[in-house]
Amino acid sequence: MTVSLAVNKNTGIMKTQVLTQKSSISTLSLLTLLILLFTLNTAIGQTNTDTPTTNERVIKGLISDENGPLKDVNVRKKGSRNGVVTNEKGEFTFPEKLKTGDVLLISFIGFETQEYIIGAETTFVSLVLTEAMIEMIGALDANTPYRSKRKN
Amino acid sequence: MIGQSHFYGQVSDFSHIDFKKADSIALSLSSERLTNLPELSLKLTEHLDTDVERFRAIYRWVCDNIANDYSLYLKNSRKRQRYKDDSLKFKAWNTKFRQIIFKNLLKRERTICTGYAYLVKTLSDLANIDCEIVQGYGRVSTTNIDKLNLPNHSWNAVKLNDKWYLCDPTWASGIPNPETNRFKFAYNNGFFLTNPKLFAVNHFPVDSTWWLLNDTIPTFDQFLGAPVIYGNAYKHLEFVDQPKQMHHDIKKHQSLNLVMTVKANLNKEDLHLLIDNGIEPKKVNLSSINIEGKQLKLSHTFDKFGFYDVHLYIKNDLIATYTVDVAQN
Repeated sequence: MTVSLAVNKNTGIMKTQVLTQKSSISTLSLLTLLILLFTLNTAIGQTNTDTPTTNERVIKGLISDENGPLKDVNVRKKGSRNGVVTNEKGEFTFPEKLKTGDVLLISFIGFETQEYIIGAETTFVSLVLTEAMIEMIGALDANTPYRSKRKN
Repeated sequence: MIGQSHFYGQVSDFSHIDFKKADSIALSLSSERLTNLPELSLKLTEHLDTDVERFRAIYRWVCDNIANDYSLYLKNSRKRQRYKDDSLKFKAWNTKFRQIIFKNLLKRERTICTGYAYLVKTLSDLANIDCEIVQGYGRVSTTNIDKLNLPNHSWNAVKLNDKWYLCDPTWASGIPNPETNRFKFAYNNGFFLTNPKLFAVNHFPVDSTWWLLNDTIPTFDQFLGAPVIYGNAYKHLEFVDQPKQMHHDIKKHQSLNLVMTVKANLNKEDLHLLIDNGIEPKKVNLSSINIEGKQLKLSHTFDKFGFYDVHLYIKNDLIATYTVDVAQN
């Protein structure tokens, strides 16, 4: 902290002096602090001009598997109850407006659940689901007493 | 999958938790369909405070609502045997069968083991509970032991409070009626977070990670030679201490000795044997019963030569079968 204060208050010449005197770790922390200050500035600048609500938009999409569109696929916003199922053509229109960074969970029995993160430019989600690759087997329990095979 | 320094547990870790609330939530949702798994998972778990209760509600719902499809099971067993030496056909069948299974699960809510394990895993994933499908060999009295050459069973491992646990939703859900082969729901709580030592008697995982045993892992031959245990063993037993093998060669006037640990205290009258010489099964009392707390030391002496199937019963529930060949001296 003392280093950064020195830099802020003094000239470029002073800065070089400080840098040469300190170890490389100090140099690093100094740089980090400068970057932090810079990003903080831009972040504040952004919130002033662009509120998060302005990028809310209607999201549509098409869900299919390797054979074509899939109906009845669940599309849900992660961490909420809100969702929709795809129609006969595999299409959906999400019932609430979504914003950048929202995550959609796309699930259908027999397929791997997929997560889709809404990007800055996303308005249409097109996804191909892959089958859950599990080998289906099944033995039943039984209450029938075991019987040895006998030669007689 | 899991690291080396993990701890394995069993249901007694949660003896302070009452599963009544989780079970009643599962029961209240019995009319739910499988068309919206995220919604189902949420409904099952949202009013419960701990992961073990949330998992319990999911597990219980699957056990109570999904029927076992015996005809599908038989069809699959036949095909798997037929194609086992033809890897292309075997793979093609598996793909086709997987699609049949998921269709049946969705439309008729019927399935076979992997369908149960898949549902438990999927609903758990949606509730942020770490759960895996375990593929392996399940051994029951009706399994043709000589033909146990392909994995035939699936179950689950679940991570709760940083420990891994085992459960078997298929076998917990019910058993087929031996006469009609029709599946009958009959929930057996013994398959929920079972002691891995008991589980190991008739569950052999393909991936050895999932034994969850601290002691030595059985070989496949040891597994095939283990006593046959029944669903009711899971109800009454903590684990089977001795013997580890089903078959015993003895001489006249020698004994079969059994040591097992039970869950609840028993009386001597709760125990009996059914001894089958191949002609006529006979109900008999054990020659000696020694009860020390939860540990039973049982012994039965054979005075006639012959080959016997020896069935142990606790409170009229069939628990385990041993075979004894008594030689002429």
